[in-house]
Amino acid sequence: MATHKTEVARLQADIDRLRRALTDVCGQIVCGRLTGDLPDNFLEQFSQLPDRPLEQVLRFLPARQVAQMRLVSRKFNRLIRKCSKTMPKKGSKREVMFQSTHSGKLTVEWLCDSSNKITRRTTTLAGDGIALSELLRFFHIDGWMFFGKGLSAADKVLDQLSKAWLTIRPEVVIFLGDLSQTSRDSLRAFLMKVQPFIKQLKFQFPSNISDNLLSDDLIGAAGRLNGMMVLPVQGSTLRDVNIGDETLLSIVDAHDISPFFFVKSSSGITPGGVRAFIEKWMKKEKLKPDGKTFGLGRGLAKCVLVFDNCANVTPATVEEACGDLLKKETIAVPDASSSFDDSGEMNDHPCFIIDCPSTNRRLEIHFHIDYFISHDVKGSSVVTDDDSEMDDEDGDDDEDDGDEDDDEGEDEDEDEDDEDEDHDDEDDEDSDLY
Amino acid sequence: MIQLCSNDDPPVSFTVPRKAVELSKTIKTMLEDLEGFDMEQTPIPLPNVDAPTLELIVKWVEQHQDDPPPVEKPRVEDDDSDDSDADDDQEPEVVIPEWDKKFLPTDDEQKNQLFKLLNAANYLEIKPLLDIGCKYVADKISGQTVEWVRDYLNMENDYTPEEEAKLKEEIAWAEGL
Repeated sequence: MATHKTEVARLQADIDRLRRALTDVCGQIVCGRLTGDLPDNFLEQFSQLPDRPLEQVLRFLPARQVAQMRLVSRKFNRLIRKCSKTMPKKGSKREVMFQSTHSGKLTVEWLCDSSNKITRRTTTLAGDGIALSELLRFFHIDGWMFFGKGLSAADKVLDQLSKAWLTIRPEVVIFLGDLSQTSRDSLRAFLMKVQPFIKQLKFQFPSNISDNLLSDDLIGAAGRLNGMMVLPVQGSTLRDVNIGDETLLSIVDAHDISPFFFVKSSSGITPGGVRAFIEKWMKKEKLKPDGKTFGLGRGLAKCVLVFDNCANVTPATVEEACGDLLKKETIAVPDASSSFDDSGEMNDHPCFIIDCPSTNRRLEIHFHIDYFISHDVKGSSVVTDDDSEMDDEDGDDDEDDGDEDDDEGEDEDEDEDDEDEDHDDEDDEDSDLY
Repeated sequence: MIQLCSNDDPPVSFTVPRKAVELSKTIKTMLEDLEGFDMEQTPIPLPNVDAPTLELIVKWVEQHQDDPPPVEKPRVEDDDSDDSDADDDQEPEVVIPEWDKKFLPTDDEQKNQLFKLLNAANYLEIKPLLDIGCKYVADKISGQTVEWVRDYLNMENDYTPEEEAKLKEEIAWAEGL
């Protein structure tokens, strides 16, 4: 009996133990899934979050940090590479200067105007172009775009910019550097991509312009430009720049007609083209200001054409082709060999002028860069400090760039104001020529 | 009134005004699809949301049910080139309202609750809540070192030292930004 009692108690204990074990196991099973061994925060860890919230976080971070966040983990790296393409841009860059150093590095320089303080930032990109494409993921470029000294407009740079064309909407594109590594195809592709936005195109002291790099069909890719300047570097072996009548005429067709058209050493333009330009210009109706475009119709009030060293456009041929439309004048300017030196000899230079007080229009055609510069500086109602400084620094290209950038900075300040902008543009024209 | 059920066992259910619950695009779409059924009597199970998180969600949608709907810009798909950016608008400013600042689980111990909330806001497609939550996290991360961010987000550095060095070189340019 006693043994039976012991046996029952033992079995009872066994059953209790099994029951407890069963309860434990049951406790770990929720909806058919074993949960007991998983960490408390299994699902809630940030790394388990789907991509979208992570992407959303990245959108709120500054560009610099987004780039650095690639170091956090492979997942972040992958995600940033993936979503930075479609991410809204972190900001706009109103002025950007691309410049390559001797070591093949490309520097990109721009003005930052965060919290009302304008600072100049420079970042150096590896020569492989990867960093440039990364950079373009973050920013718009929608103002002035400079290709500075060196090979900064080389094909690999232009190709990257063409690829990212929606993020670059420059209004003014200025080529200042060595164009020996710039091919027709890349330049053309680039100009076609930026075409809807570009207002002015300047080749301002670029060197090593290869045969046919600048020709009518190529510049034509830039559409109806509102300003055009081709000014090869002085003293270098000048090749013909083959801009032709087509480009000249596209200037008149432009919505906002340019106040200047400046070409040095171009053989493509003919006296007939000049005549066609004049006729179109005189007939062109002034557009009503729509508040969207700046400086509307400035080029109709005063337009200056300068053809320096252009084989087919000389005082004689212009007089022959359009003498009936134009008034010939002679203006004394300092001799080219001693420009800006007061003691220099004065030479007479012919120029042609159409003056219509009734319609308030004035067109000038000049044939000499030095004349144009001295005329504009002296005749300008705004002679800034920069002008006198630049006189001193004449011939020093590096300094010139610096000056010009400073001018740009002022533009930025005064962008809101239409009148100031007009004024600034005139300033720009002056400094551009230096 | 609509009933929402958490994924707990047993599920915890919350009764929420329909207007509030429709701040969730996911639920709004579902309710529209089930037009004609008596949804007042049918609890909606939310398999990705636990009770504490659902409680927060319910609190938030009730608070914000009378907010004007966010203006949604149509996304312009770019058909010109695969390489270019489809959306070139700049990120609109997100400001966290005072009420939400107090509402968000912002203590460091509550970090996981915050991430759970973001996850749920994403799953339920409550964009304004996702926005302010992500903005909060972004503000928190902003200016911090990579190590700090790893720690904050409970992430492991899964790079080899060589890979890390190479990547550092690759992103060195961003220092100038």
